[in-house]
Amino acid sequence: MANHFLPDKNSKWLPISIVILGSIVGLGLFLAKESEIVSYMTDDPKACVNCHVMTSEYNSWMHSSHREMASCNDCHVPHDNIANTYYFKAKDGLYHASVFTMRMEPQVITMKEASAEVVQQNCVRCHEQQITDPKLSSWVESHKTNRTERQCWSCHQEVPHGKVHGLNSTRYTIAPIPTDQEKDVVPEWLKKEIKNN
Amino acid sequence: MKNWILFVITAIVVFLLGMLASSVINRKSEAKFAYVPQVKISENEPRNEIWGKNFPKEYQSYIQTLDTSFASFQGGSKTIDMLEEDPRLVVLWAGYAFSKDYNQGRGHYYAVDDVRNILRTGAPKGEGDGPMPATCWTCKSPDVPRLMNEKGVAEFYSGKWADKGSEIVNPIGCADCHDSKDMSLQITRPALVEAFESMGKDINQATHNEMRSLVCAQCHVEYYFNKNLPGKEGVPYLVFPWKNGMSAENMEEYYDEIEFSDWTHELSKAPMLKAQHPGYETYLTGVHADRGVSCADCHMPYKTEGGQKFTDHHIQSPLNNVANSCQVCHRQEADKLIENVYSRQTKSMESRLKLEDALVKAHLEAKKAWDLGATEEQMKPILMDIRHAQWRWDYAAASHGASFHAPVEIGRVITSGLNVAADARIKLARLLASLGFEGEFDYPDISTKHKAQQFIGIDLEKLKAEKEEFKKNVIPVWLETAKEREAKMGVEQVTMNH
Repeated sequence: MANHFLPDKNSKWLPISIVILGSIVGLGLFLAKESEIVSYMTDDPKACVNCHVMTSEYNSWMHSSHREMASCNDCHVPHDNIANTYYFKAKDGLYHASVFTMRMEPQVITMKEASAEVVQQNCVRCHEQQITDPKLSSWVESHKTNRTERQCWSCHQEVPHGKVHGLNSTRYTIAPIPTDQEKDVVPEWLKKEIKNN
Repeated sequence: MKNWILFVITAIVVFLLGMLASSVINRKSEAKFAYVPQVKISENEPRNEIWGKNFPKEYQSYIQTLDTSFASFQGGSKTIDMLEEDPRLVVLWAGYAFSKDYNQGRGHYYAVDDVRNILRTGAPKGEGDGPMPATCWTCKSPDVPRLMNEKGVAEFYSGKWADKGSEIVNPIGCADCHDSKDMSLQITRPALVEAFESMGKDINQATHNEMRSLVCAQCHVEYYFNKNLPGKEGVPYLVFPWKNGMSAENMEEYYDEIEFSDWTHELSKAPMLKAQHPGYETYLTGVHADRGVSCADCHMPYKTEGGQKFTDHHIQSPLNNVANSCQVCHRQEADKLIENVYSRQTKSMESRLKLEDALVKAHLEAKKAWDLGATEEQMKPILMDIRHAQWRWDYAAASHGASFHAPVEIGRVITSGLNVAADARIKLARLLASLGFEGEFDYPDISTKHKAQQFIGIDLEKLKAEKEEFKKNVIPVWLETAKEREAKMGVEQVTMNH
């Protein structure tokens, strides 16, 4: 392999090539670290606030009841099979990254059609019991069509981000950064005081 | 030549990689300024209005705890003179400050005001004076964690209530529950942390949902002041009696083991326990807690203003906000839901009043026995019964809202209290008979607060006059000192001109 990249052992180019290759790899590693690239492999919602444009989405989720049960990926990535999950995640992620790098992100972020479909399927995936109550089918007119021909959030508008979300609707929002340490609920000063006592 | 081309291409690749890296770093530092708050909130910032500059919606809803218009069957934010409502309390607490003055508490915003104004805290003339220890401030203000941080916990608890009057001025607020850096929930009172330790638990393992009740449990619990803690003798150190468990019987056993009593009853001479407000303990035994409903879910439900959803910091009775609290889960009419709450409370109160009646009589009969020359030895089992029965009554009565939070548990506790009270009165009847007392007992008229207080010898007018003096002479000095101190604290504005 090295033979393709590096010149002959005796060539004067050899040390230069090694230094250049080293700097490319080093710069790549630096880039990976700065962009918290490993965090994208996880399901941790904090990975989504690597880009601060997602802060208002993160915070509206964080203050919703879905927080306890569902992370960003639970709703926004398909869960039909593992290949599709990671394909979609990579596709969406790279698209987001490109838009963000090019500074083309809109003030108010809305879902594309493909994402909306995924989210709808995920609502159904978890809430199947609630939305297919056979008792209702028998006596509520057009129960099935009402259920299948609309999107869940056309009625449940507050779930979980709320109708209004975007840079200006959530003021002074503080979101954790992915490298924040997990912290205890007892502040340091109090821990110290209790220990001293 | 080929090598030179490769060199140029590589240079371009590295340059572009560098550009990308620079863009990532730029956008990361941009994040620091994208949501810049107005002011910097320092750790233990006690002034709620400073937090309010960054979190106006939460702060403004918190300010609404100023509202005192709502009264429910057994609570609300209106000042209700509980001794006037139920003069039996005066006799039950004879010899203890609660027989002087006891009001339905108002919202959090009044925490400091109310504790200054209540006759129980007396009328200290200055430092080192007055009936209450500094420990009484512990639950009243975000100035408490600030001061504990500055002075140390035991040092905070030592001294008189009046000694720290100029330090504690901001009512219960933001810093009591929130971390100033990221607004996450945190525990600021050592007693809760220590209580978890005593049960062999680590509070840092609490889930977020548990935290939404535990921040309330810093104060809305049963507690006592222990003056005999090793290494801290003489300091009234705040402790939760949870070592054996949180039921009425567990805590009773704990207090009996360490032979603790809050006061000796003036009439019966029984070594008494005063239940504080075991709201968290009783809540845990109810069905809402079992289903994972936290305190905040009902007392501070989400609210929407202009399309924005946030936690309502107007902490109040859910009965004044049925639509956002109860009806999120229960799809019944608001009237019906309130009726359901009231019916539990009325029924619970029916049996609680029976226990109160039995206790009042037991205290009076015990006094009679003493008057007729009963011996300590004869009285001891009776007085223990009175102590236990009244503790159980108080556990049920003082855990405000418990007859709704945990109606079955409270029913059980009151019944067990009635049983113990009956035991006491049977023993008393036998003793009185052996001392030669026959016939009907002549119970005094305690049908109003005035009559009851006269009966146990409380001069309310004198207490009120002293309180007025205190309000006129001492409080203004406290406020002035506090104002000077806080002026020095300053506010650090965050500037956007970077």
